[in-house]
Amino acid sequence: MPDRTTPVLEVHGLRKRFPGQRSLMDVIRRRPPRDVTAVDGVSFDVLPGEVLALVGESGCGKTTTGNLLLGLLPATEGQVILGGQHVGGLSHRELLRLRRNVQMIFQDPYESLNPRMPVREIVAEPLRVHGVARTAAEAEARVREALEQAGLKPAEAYLHRLPFELSGGQRQRVVIAAALALRPSLLVADEPVSMLDVSIRADILNLLRSLADEHGISVLMITHDLSTVAAYADRIAVMYLGRIVEIGDARTVLRDPQHPYTRALRSVVPVPDPNARRRPVILAGETPDPSRIPSGCRFHPRCPVAFEACPQVDPRLYDLGGGHGAACLLLDPDYRPAKPISESGAVAPEPA
Amino acid sequence: MTALVEIQAPATTPTYVARGALHSLIRRPMGAIGLTMLLVAVAVAILAPVIAPYDPYKNIQVTVFDLYAAPSPAHLLGTDHRGHDVLSSLIYGTRVSLIVGFSAASIALLIGGVVGIVAGYRGGWIGASLMRFTDFFLVIPDLALQIVIIAIAGPSLLNIILVIGALGWTTTARLVRSQTLSVRERKFVMRARAIGAGDLHILRRHVLPQVLPLMLANMVLVISLAILEESTLAFIGLGDPTLISWGQMLNFAFGRSAMSAGAWWALIPPGLAIVWVVLGTTLLGTALEEVLNPRLKRHHLERERVGPRRLLPGARLRDATAPPAGTRDPLPVSIPREGSSVPLLSVRDLVVEFDSPTGPLRAVDGVSFDLRRGETIGLVGESGSGKTTTVLAMLRLLPPGGRVVGGQVLFDGEDLLALPPAELRAVRWSRLSIVFQGAMNALNPVRTVGDQVAEAIRTHQPGMGRRATAARAAELLERVGISGRRARDYPHTYSGGMRQRAMIALALACDPDVIIADEPTTALDVMIQAQILELLARLSNELGMATIMVTHDLGVVGQRCDRVVVMYGGIVAEEAEAYRLYAHPQHPYTQALLASFPDLSHPDRKLVGIAGVPPRLDNMPPGCPFAPRCPHVFDRCLAERPPAFPLSHERRASCFLVEPGHERPTATPDVARPVAEGADA
Repeated sequence: MPDRTTPVLEVHGLRKRFPGQRSLMDVIRRRPPRDVTAVDGVSFDVLPGEVLALVGESGCGKTTTGNLLLGLLPATEGQVILGGQHVGGLSHRELLRLRRNVQMIFQDPYESLNPRMPVREIVAEPLRVHGVARTAAEAEARVREALEQAGLKPAEAYLHRLPFELSGGQRQRVVIAAALALRPSLLVADEPVSMLDVSIRADILNLLRSLADEHGISVLMITHDLSTVAAYADRIAVMYLGRIVEIGDARTVLRDPQHPYTRALRSVVPVPDPNARRRPVILAGETPDPSRIPSGCRFHPRCPVAFEACPQVDPRLYDLGGGHGAACLLLDPDYRPAKPISESGAVAPEPA
Repeated sequence: MTALVEIQAPATTPTYVARGALHSLIRRPMGAIGLTMLLVAVAVAILAPVIAPYDPYKNIQVTVFDLYAAPSPAHLLGTDHRGHDVLSSLIYGTRVSLIVGFSAASIALLIGGVVGIVAGYRGGWIGASLMRFTDFFLVIPDLALQIVIIAIAGPSLLNIILVIGALGWTTTARLVRSQTLSVRERKFVMRARAIGAGDLHILRRHVLPQVLPLMLANMVLVISLAILEESTLAFIGLGDPTLISWGQMLNFAFGRSAMSAGAWWALIPPGLAIVWVVLGTTLLGTALEEVLNPRLKRHHLERERVGPRRLLPGARLRDATAPPAGTRDPLPVSIPREGSSVPLLSVRDLVVEFDSPTGPLRAVDGVSFDLRRGETIGLVGESGSGKTTTVLAMLRLLPPGGRVVGGQVLFDGEDLLALPPAELRAVRWSRLSIVFQGAMNALNPVRTVGDQVAEAIRTHQPGMGRRATAARAAELLERVGISGRRARDYPHTYSGGMRQRAMIALALACDPDVIIADEPTTALDVMIQAQILELLARLSNELGMATIMVTHDLGVVGQRCDRVVVMYGGIVAEEAEAYRLYAHPQHPYTQALLASFPDLSHPDRKLVGIAGVPPRLDNMPPGCPFAPRCPHVFDRCLAERPPAFPLSHERRASCFLVEPGHERPTATPDVARPVAEGADA
């Protein structure tokens, strides 16, 4: 049994700013470039054998966060600690060694496999890049092991196939096998099933779950789909405009969300049950442009329960006990709305 | 049961693919002819000393009568100004032409390849300055510069090769750069980077294999250019004087008055030889480009492509009035509904086929359902289930190659499939409109949104004045939640959700009775999805519209639809009122689909996927389309297609298990899943 208390990954105050594009007119008018802060101070950790879901709508910064963790993008600020080691300040070599522990699973299994490479080479590629397997026999053994671990049994049946000969589900399994070849401690899965047929999705998600349960491999699942999170994640971190607004045990957060955004998001997820009683809180408008993050609480312009303090004060993440935290001023005893929030604006608790 | 879903595809190796490319090259007439022509030239060059009757490089004693001697048995193509055999010179000239062609092309390819790959892969200021450098070379008149350089450096063979090579790389560089650019952005390169691979690895293993075939095709074309340029240089007297080349032969023939001497044999053969090689390489190069240029943008919908995209020439959208396929049993007409009026729209036994090289493929096979006034029904299915084809066929909007071969679509008592085109157009859109899948990208980018809505109104109500139309357009946009001010904006300033709203406004332009929404919220965020679904629900309430929602999302259907039609493999697997369907699914596919679908309100339920994949059109099981994946399959399912059995409560299901009188197998629980998890082959 692996040690389940030391996090495999710790992220502290991660920030990513993309320099804004200036048009010729902007330069002539001497308008300063408007930077886009895609990730704005994100902190979380992932324990061994845990599935943590990073949830949010498009543009919330969840994919950028994943890319930062994998070093696909350089972070502007913040610390990433992998297996107890700070990632910043490592030599290229040490970094490469450390990176073996984190592997990525992409969204589109139709695009993320080189169409000219047979499965064997795709799965062996990480071994080759990291110079892990010393002999061809060893590499072969690890490729087979990874394929079978990813549920492609018997491995021989798949080794020589090209991606176009595989179904979507099988391709995603090949992607997972390639990620498993290096025996990583953490998988970052960016929308791993959204491109797959509905009937195939559960199998892939069950596979990821069993990798966590049986092999102690942690999974950071980046997704927009709360239903999937509810069924597969241990913990959930809800992101809005580059920030984590609520984090905690998945069941707790989804049963009793504390942040108004989480509540709204949860209330609009379609449920395959026509009898379910729902009071959806449909937020007006869309997520604001990340180059113009609103003042104070970044959610306040769309928040149904916003009050006077919200446009001024940027709330920190308030600890609600049991690892549950939410960034909403309503949770702070120092700030109270002057008058009680109107019944229409208030978010009624979801009937269970 | 396992045997049904065994892996069928044979092991395939990369050489198989390479051989496939060569094979398809030869199968093209252009490729076969070009390759033969080039191979003949190469063989002649290599075998020159053997096949040439004389050695043109040997000094010979000649008399006046030997100069420009007409063709004779001794000199098949006559002699030239020196009294040498033209045929032998021609044969030896092949060597120079080909050497110059291949060497110069290799140099050009090397320079162009490196410049293109660096410019494409590195990008940034390096890429930009490399491309400006390339542009600079591109606009210099090659020939003029070549003449200058050769005149200065001297016309040796090496100089000629270098000059042609050094000036001929620009097209290659541009081609390679654009290819590299597109490969660099592809997901598998991103994945390699995520693994931790460095630039060298990515270039060698991912970029080069995608770029090299293109370079090979390009090289053949560059060879023909190089040969042409060498001939040109030689013709104007800048060839290597110690060597015999075709251009050289022409140069001397012209210079030494072959024309006035009437010695056509000194002029025409070298000219034809140049044409021969250049034509051969061009043909080969063009064919190679067609074969090797990887269809980089291979779409992820390959499975669906089997049907609609692989088309026979000449197969066009036919007005689908063909008689129904004769031998089919008439499907039971939709279940009569007690107390309900005549349905507004009734699809009866619809059959749609697509042409394919192997014969017609049936995409929709006897689909029937009804839509009543004001009702919302959901057409649910996975990719390839035939749901989109069904709605397209209903409106006679099938892509070329697809046609309705049977059935009726009764709209207010009239068969849409039998209407003359003009009347059909009147019904389409004004009474029956459709919001297409990915419709938010279907707005014209160079016209304002308000304009486009107004246009839809004008098309169907030509009498309306300009001002009235504009007012109506603004009103429609307001109705879908877009302020009138935004009507004057262009689509690119709209977000995805707003574009989808605009498309709905377009669909509403003529107060339709039925709106068909094909995956109206796919690719939208969940909050935007909720907004759009609420909008559709509100509109159908306010305007009394009936809605057909085509989707793969059981959640959306469960939330918004009165009745659900579950499609699988081109047939209706099950139809029922939504709440009954979700509470007691009857068809094993519906059961399995619900078991695989996550439900936020029941997070503890363990989800189970369905083994196997949906059937392909070109490989449809003879019996029940779901049989290969069905946990309850028995012999009859494999042989016979189950008809739709009517059940109580206005339901029906196409499964022998629900057939009246069928005894349910007792031991169903153990046959939970036919195969191991991985084998979704």
